[in-house]
Amino acid sequence: MASAAEFELLLSPLLDRAYGVALHLTRDRADAQDLVQEAALLAFRGFAGFRPGTNFKAWFFKILTNAFYTTHRKRRQEPDTVPLDDVPSAYVQRRAHEVVSDEGRAGAGLQSGNVARAVLGKLEIEQMEEAIGSLPEEFRVACSLYFLQDFTYQEIADILGVPIGTVRSRLHRGRALLQKRLWQLAEDHGLVAAAAAAEGRGR
Amino acid sequence: MSVNKLTCEQTFARLDDYLDRELTPMELAEVAQHLEVCARCAGEFGLEAQVLDEIRRKLRRIMAPAELVEKISEKLRQG
Repeated sequence: MASAAEFELLLSPLLDRAYGVALHLTRDRADAQDLVQEAALLAFRGFAGFRPGTNFKAWFFKILTNAFYTTHRKRRQEPDTVPLDDVPSAYVQRRAHEVVSDEGRAGAGLQSGNVARAVLGKLEIEQMEEAIGSLPEEFRVACSLYFLQDFTYQEIADILGVPIGTVRSRLHRGRALLQKRLWQLAEDHGLVAAAAAAEGRGR
Repeated sequence: MSVNKLTCEQTFARLDDYLDRELTPMELAEVAQHLEVCARCAGEFGLEAQVLDEIRRKLRRIMAPAELVEKISEKLRQG
């Protein structure tokens, strides 16, 4: 007979990241709390069906994600549907490279790597959350599971109940779009100019 | 084992799968071989890993609100 203590021991280490994923999925703090609570209760009630020694993390996140799709997903204010044109991969790198070329200071040691790292370093967590929250749902879900946990393509495929090729596509395209959104936010907040200036001074 | 020599373009096409550790052993060997001899691609791969790491690091700072943790504990105790 499963004890609450035994279950809680397995669940507790996951709660921060579970809340993180729930926040990405629902894009609302109160809904995220409700979702995690609901998933915790569902998981506890189904704990007898969990085989000890198998992947509790994947099992729990599948319950969480299913609960989102079943009862917490709201159609209101859903971000854009998946864009038709793919954003190129390594987007931040490419834009950082452009900054260096535009500034014409590559010869003086302004390096795209340093600019890219500096721009990302200046982004606040809230801005990261805003960027991931702005992604179309299917990208958002895959990216959230990828960034917050170290799930493999196969694990994410099992959690979402989609083919592994679909996971791969959503992750690659989602990450590229996320990088584009992050760069746009950085530009909007003057962080790109600040990073280029700081790196250009050889700081 | 003879490993195919990849072009920069072919190597770059495998960037995402490489970082996700989802390449087959043969594909991994092909990419690794190219990265050994091509500083530009090696730089791009390294930087992309850093970009993803920074995003990951910041997103993982999230913490569950204290009241959520307490509420769950309470409900589990109620059964």
